[in-house]
Amino acid sequence: MIRVLGAALAAIITLLGLTLALWFAPATQVNLPQQVELNIDASGIAHPITAVLLNFRSYDTLLEVAVVLVAVVAGLALRERGPRVTPHERSADPMLQALTRRLLPLLVLTGVYVLWAGSYAPGGAFQAGALVAAAGVLARLAGYDIASRVDRLLRLGLALGFILFLTVAVSAMFGGRPFLNYPDEWAGSLIFLIEAVLTFSIGLTLLSLFVHAPGDASPQGGGDYGR
Amino acid sequence: MIPILLIIPLAFAILSLLLPRKWTRTIVIPGLILQLGAALILCLTIYTEGPQDYALGDWQAPLGISLLADGFTVTLLALTALIAALCAIYALFFLERYNREQFYFWPLFWFLLASLNGIWLAADLFNLYVGLELLGLSAVGMVALTSERPALKAALDYLYAALFGSLAYLAGVALIYGAYGTLAIPQLSEMVAGNITTQVAVALMSVGLLLKTAIFPLHFWLPPAHGGALAPVSALLSALVVKASFYILALIWLDVGALAVTVSAAQLMGALGAGAILWGSWNAFKTPQVKMLVAYSTVAQLGYLMMLFPLAIGVSEAAATMAWQGTILHLLAHAFAKAAMFLSVGTLVLAIGHGRIADLGGVSQHMPMALFAFGLSAVSLMGLPPSGGFNAKWLLLQSAIQSGQWHWFVVIAGGGLLTAAYVFRIFRVSFTETVRHEIQATHPMLQLSALLLAFIAIGLGFASEWPLRLMDLTGGGTP
Repeated sequence: MIRVLGAALAAIITLLGLTLALWFAPATQVNLPQQVELNIDASGIAHPITAVLLNFRSYDTLLEVAVVLVAVVAGLALRERGPRVTPHERSADPMLQALTRRLLPLLVLTGVYVLWAGSYAPGGAFQAGALVAAAGVLARLAGYDIASRVDRLLRLGLALGFILFLTVAVSAMFGGRPFLNYPDEWAGSLIFLIEAVLTFSIGLTLLSLFVHAPGDASPQGGGDYGR
Repeated sequence: MIPILLIIPLAFAILSLLLPRKWTRTIVIPGLILQLGAALILCLTIYTEGPQDYALGDWQAPLGISLLADGFTVTLLALTALIAALCAIYALFFLERYNREQFYFWPLFWFLLASLNGIWLAADLFNLYVGLELLGLSAVGMVALTSERPALKAALDYLYAALFGSLAYLAGVALIYGAYGTLAIPQLSEMVAGNITTQVAVALMSVGLLLKTAIFPLHFWLPPAHGGALAPVSALLSALVVKASFYILALIWLDVGALAVTVSAAQLMGALGAGAILWGSWNAFKTPQVKMLVAYSTVAQLGYLMMLFPLAIGVSEAAATMAWQGTILHLLAHAFAKAAMFLSVGTLVLAIGHGRIADLGGVSQHMPMALFAFGLSAVSLMGLPPSGGFNAKWLLLQSAIQSGQWHWFVVIAGGGLLTAAYVFRIFRVSFTETVRHEIQATHPMLQLSALLLAFIAIGLGFASEWPLRLMDLTGGGTP
């Protein structure tokens, strides 16, 4: 009871503080969206959000990709003690079979579209990666045997996006340019290549977290609704 | 030159994730040498040429992100490289009997190092948030490594605390960005005014960072996490990880938000510190487990860092400078001493098979080096001369006298006595002759690396001038 009251008090104080802070907010003196607008031609990308994420503030994104990688490494570290995760038997349900066979290509196609759209409209690697992961989870639930074994190939797949991003970032320094700088004429294509590989790695990361999450180690398995 | 300090640990993180298992151990030493070398070269460069900044991707802040290396930054970079190197050498031998853990330890270790370096070098509020996320997740992963039930529970609590702390910090950053339109710290320190928006933002960020630094009364997650992890992990966490969020807290109070903070708020921060010293010491005095004693000692010692705020805000410039120098020195001395203490205690626990203080009898004869390392680090923690801890507390006390704040004088001086009370528990037991348990042999490198760290903590007492002189080469950071 005291805990609930304390939490309620903290929430009310925070709400009050935020309201005051927003009410009395001073007028901004720096206009960053305008600066993005001015420099967007030099970024090689037509959409401001992708330009900020992968060019102007690409360092933040590089570290965010590392965060995602650390999360899955920590997840795998806890998991590998158990035996190899085997998928449930391929479900014999014809409806599920037919549905997955039609949905999977569509999901992957939508993923590729969202990735491609990132260069001129909202979209990009993280959203596309989520779609790819959804396709993987669906396939997994239908009994396909993917990402079951924690081996070097899986780890390479997980790290691939980060490796490519870091390699491109470092390679700039060999040409005497600063870390994370893209060569002018290649900026657009390099960013797309990084995003494409990131899509794959992020999708695989989310899928691995699903497949290797603790829980279906119980003898009953993780709720096999097919049978 | 500056981004090399990020590239080395990131590259080694990937290498140790992908190379065959037998190689992950082999590359540790070359990686550490590279890292240490790069940190020292950067130290020398800054010492001779003054502070430098680096526009990542050739985009100038505020549109892009800059890294900033000044005297304070490079001191912390060198500290991180040195402590990480000694902890890693210890881990190489300590983890021999942990087959699965040792494989995943190394990628997390390198990511942890990268995030620490990233935080010291960051000059952008949002980039600090990303750094905190990377730091928090790799630290949580390291705590959970053994995947035993208590470790998992501690790691989960740590994860919740870290995530909540990050969210509160992020909310503050969003308010600042909304009010000023920029995230670059050098630009913000010139623009930020003492209005209510800034004050709410500083309050939100402070709550988040206090939780991440485990300052009393938000310290609940630290003792189980630091006390329950593997010894090299505990050493890294107590010596370095909690200092990162404190560093950001100090940056916000003394630099970015300097006009928004009030003297009474600073006194409140000091009161939290005093609470930490009392509560941490009392629990360290009570606990039956030796690793928990060291973990609670961290809670108490973090309280001294909080003395920075009342001693440096609203006082004369001379007193503020002294408080700042004392705090830096305390941060360095505590990092070395606490790493040494966790490593030596880890060796003792490994040798007797468990960590009950009452059963430490006889270790003084069998493992004199480990106990000596513990003793030396205790000298620095208690603040006895000659040690880095003594110089730090001396500066803090002088600053308190100069600004006439006698209540903080009492807290700082009394804290030393409390520290003595709990560390002498270990000596009293360990010097008894009766051996209650079979004491197993451990690798001598385990004791040696702890001893080396303890010697540095003591040596800092003779060489305090050096980091303080390097620190003077700073554009921002000093009050």
